[in-house]
Amino acid sequence: MSERSARRRADGIDDATTAPPPGADQLSEADAAYLAGLAPATPTAYHRQNPLTKATAATMATLGAFVLGGYVGPLAILVLGVVPGAIVAGLLGRLVRLAALISLPIAVSVALVSVFTRAGETVLFVIGPFDATLEGVDFAAQIIVRLFVIAMALGLFGLTTDPRALVVDLERRGVPPRVAFAAAATLETIPAMIERAQTIQAAQRARGLDTEGSLGARVRGVMPLVGPVILSSLTEVEERSLALEVRAFGRPGRRHLLWTLPDSGRQRLVRWLLVGLFLAVAVGRVSGSLPAPL
Amino acid sequence: MIEIRGLVFDYPGGSRALDGIDLTIQDGERVAIIGQNGSGKSTLVKHLNGLLRPTMGEVFLDGAPTAGIRVAHLAARVGLAFQDPDRQIFAGKVRTEVAFGPRNLGRRGGELAAAVDAALVAVGLDGVADQNPYDLGYSRRKLLALASILAMDTRVVILDEPTTGQDADGVDRVRRIVSDLGAAGRTVIAISHDMRFVADSFERVVVMGAGRVLLDGPPANVFAEAGWPTLATTYLEPPLAARVGARLDLGATATEVSLIEALAARAG
Repeated sequence: MSERSARRRADGIDDATTAPPPGADQLSEADAAYLAGLAPATPTAYHRQNPLTKATAATMATLGAFVLGGYVGPLAILVLGVVPGAIVAGLLGRLVRLAALISLPIAVSVALVSVFTRAGETVLFVIGPFDATLEGVDFAAQIIVRLFVIAMALGLFGLTTDPRALVVDLERRGVPPRVAFAAAATLETIPAMIERAQTIQAAQRARGLDTEGSLGARVRGVMPLVGPVILSSLTEVEERSLALEVRAFGRPGRRHLLWTLPDSGRQRLVRWLLVGLFLAVAVGRVSGSLPAPL
Repeated sequence: MIEIRGLVFDYPGGSRALDGIDLTIQDGERVAIIGQNGSGKSTLVKHLNGLLRPTMGEVFLDGAPTAGIRVAHLAARVGLAFQDPDRQIFAGKVRTEVAFGPRNLGRRGGELAAAVDAALVAVGLDGVADQNPYDLGYSRRKLLALASILAMDTRVVILDEPTTGQDADGVDRVRRIVSDLGAAGRTVIAISHDMRFVADSFERVVVMGAGRVLLDGPPANVFAEAGWPTLATTYLEPPLAARVGARLDLGATATEVSLIEALAARAG
């Protein structure tokens, strides 16, 4: 066994179940339970898949939908890959609504632009100087199908993966803690900023700022909100970095993770199969050995 | 007068923050609301100026329901100073910051200047009126946030944790402000974890736990030994003076003044 694989084993990468972190045998039962409680909730089998597996699935579905084109390919990815995953995760309805919400604005603009501007033989109808062609409708529909599949695939990843889980997993796989933290902080800042903006708005409304009145009143009300949001965000960034440094965040060397996420040989195999499948399709499309998309 | 009837509030997502609150607060009363974090104190006071609206029940201000009245209008009658000053300070000058509230309420010119000056004098920031708020330390920024509510001259003043981060002088100043407001006939409601401040400055203490009112009465009653088990359920400890008084069998001595008097009476 090479040193690298020995370390991977020590880090629990090869274990099918959650591997106890190094030194876990020295923990009291209560401490171990507390640490386990820090891990993100994983209510279903799909949630429990390793973040990298879910990320690979989402990425391959996205790239696959692009490369395949047409209708049958992307829809096959949707029906055979994304939808079963969403059913297992128990959030198919929520995912469809989310994906529709995300793709709708883009879909509308794509439809408007390509239906009327795409050159084609078959004119369906004419509005002023614009003629809508069948080719334009076909093109727009293909784009929208792809868009929806991609929104579903990425949405499934987002809804089933806690950002912290992804970051911790990446860190275990050797991504520098600083990079991993920056990624996590960015993801976690968004809800925190929304929450802060709401508090600030409440404080200003308590001082008579009218946010329910006319448009003019609302526009005037923006400044008292923007200032504190930016200032308090900057202060927080500084405080956060100081708080991290006093807890030896910048210390060089290897880290012990408080909790690790299960990964398995089978999941690794699935990831490589997904990548392989995508590459095969991509090569097939480029070399022309696959039939034209339907 | 503030009347709260059967107030229930659920946060989106379903967690019940207030679970049936009935409370009447008379004009000019000084009321402290205490209770562990998450007991519903802040949620309750946000109903008084309409920042939150009841899931069930009603809030009346001077006999009229607040439902349907805009926050910007209720703010003229109920001022609410938030806990964290940095979530409201935006102006480049202390004076401008304090003027924001009264200006929103339509005050202009000499009237506005007088309100701002009086509020700055009350919190002791009149000497730094032209400085940038962020050049002041946290405790003075907190006083600035307080001044920005005082300047609105509302009949009801609500303070969320006004003594946090204040040194002894700062706490004294907040105490004086509360007593001056009371003397002027204005209603003061404060949320606080500072039991000494609560016992000293307020004539009525409302104890909250899990979205309900557990105890309601003068500090001497609420902090009397009989109430301690109830206080413990919402993770509160009576002030030191009350505990010393109980230990020495001096009766209910919620404040240091009453403790000293009781000790003197026994010695004399």
